Amino acid sequence: MRFLAWLEALGRAALLWVNAMRGLPRWSDVKLVGRQIYNVGFLSLIIIVLSAFSIGAVLALQFYTQLARFGAEDAVGLGLALVVLRELGPVVTALLFAGRAGSALTAEIGLMKTTEQLSSMEMMGVDPLHRIVAPRIWAGIISVPILTLIFNIVAIYGGALVAVDWLGADPGGFWSGMQDVVQLWEDLGKGMIKSVVFAVLVTWVAVFQGYDSPPTAEGMSMATTRTVVISSVLILAADFLLTLVLYGDF
Amino acid sequence: MSDNLIEISHLTFFRGERAIFDDISLSIPRGKITAIMGPSGTGKTTLLRIIGGQLRPDRGRVLVNGTDVCRMDRHQLFAFRRNLGMLFQSSALFTDLSVFENVAFPMRVHTKLGEETIRDIVLMKLNAVGLRGARDLSPAELSGGMARRVALARAISLDPDLIMYDEPFTGQDPIAMGVLVGLIKQLNQALGTTSLLVSHDIHETVSIADQIFILADGRVIGAGTPEELRASPSPRVQQFMHGLPDGPVPFHYPADDIAFDIMGDQQAGRSA
Repeated sequence: MRFLAWLEALGRAALLWVNAMRGLPRWSDVKLVGRQIYNVGFLSLIIIVLSAFSIGAVLALQFYTQLARFGAEDAVGLGLALVVLRELGPVVTALLFAGRAGSALTAEIGLMKTTEQLSSMEMMGVDPLHRIVAPRIWAGIISVPILTLIFNIVAIYGGALVAVDWLGADPGGFWSGMQDVVQLWEDLGKGMIKSVVFAVLVTWVAVFQGYDSPPTAEGMSMATTRTVVISSVLILAADFLLTLVLYGDF
Repeated sequence: MSDNLIEISHLTFFRGERAIFDDISLSIPRGKITAIMGPSGTGKTTLLRIIGGQLRPDRGRVLVNGTDVCRMDRHQLFAFRRNLGMLFQSSALFTDLSVFENVAFPMRVHTKLGEETIRDIVLMKLNAVGLRGARDLSPAELSGGMARRVALARAISLDPDLIMYDEPFTGQDPIAMGVLVGLIKQLNQALGTTSLLVSHDIHETVSIADQIFILADGRVIGAGTPEELRASPSPRVQQFMHGLPDGPVPFHYPADDIAFDIMGDQQAGRSA
């Protein structure tokens, strides 16, 4: 029975997606999407920048102490860049986004449902899937890759600060090593593909949980928790599959 | 054009195993105030949602202006709802918009009116409910009665043919209640709209309704003008109209005998 209920929820989620995303956003929706980009994207900037900086700094520290034993300090830059661009940038950004913005999306939509705002919108002849759900999904799909890009830049500069300015690695080796190895498509491009997929997963889970939550306090708290848990698991699972597909060499 | 805006025939609606409506038929005259009354849980709100096309009945037809709401596709339904105003029990104002923007919302999405015109109409509608001065407040700053009046202004902003009121008096203080009663009556006369009111506040409803239907157990148990219903010989209608606690509609939810329920074990022991 639980499996059936789960399948049913999956079906409802698919229907929600299809009905909300039918047709590209119209010109008049640009303002709505813009406002949501501010809510989910811009307001997530602080946590993204802080995490990126500290992750970049810690990675550089670890790389430097290990590599210095072999006199390979020059490889810190390229190691850092590869790890951040291919994996940590997209994955950590998406996980943070799920916790910061995904849960907020679920709570917002769930509360709109509880207070009959979605219902009254429907009765006014306005489809809440187009008016409320679609702009939020688009905002997520636009914001997450941009946030990932920002994460990447901040993490690499954070690493440079530690390795070059503090520990004294050779700046020429740090940057030119990175330039020699890192490829635009292979490393940055494929990382961005990952982030777009994660964005779709997180926003989809978040709006569905909000839209589908029972209109009670308990239902809402469960829905927000589920958003974070389910999207985190999906991000990690999708990351493995995507790495296999994008970088696998069979 | 028929005299009735809404014709419901042989409507049957199940929620799970329970029949909320069991083959009911009723018609709602154009331009009048019609009230649907009945004890809580008789599906009054469900009826409004069926008329608005949010729920689909299991059997029967709901004709509004001669078109069957139950057979409309999504697109037709949304077009139909532009001619419909609904006042929700919870007011359901959009919490991220100001009072002004709430009332302007239907015009912004459904019309191409200019900003000047929208402003004039919003102020007129807010003036009609006495809240022109509250236009810049956010819904969180309003009292329950004010919120419901703003919701009313929003419901009439496109001058709909039909306004549905879902329990407009519930949870209102006496003054707000009097204001709402006056407003509903006034709007009906001024705009010539058909009003459909769902309520169990006998006194207020009787004072403004032209026609009343009483629902209980999925059926229409009484229909007519307020005077006709007061004079009705049916004991169930009498119980409801006069608010008697016990009668054909029992006070108690079905249960075992109380003596058995409380003393159950001991009695069982004694008889053994």
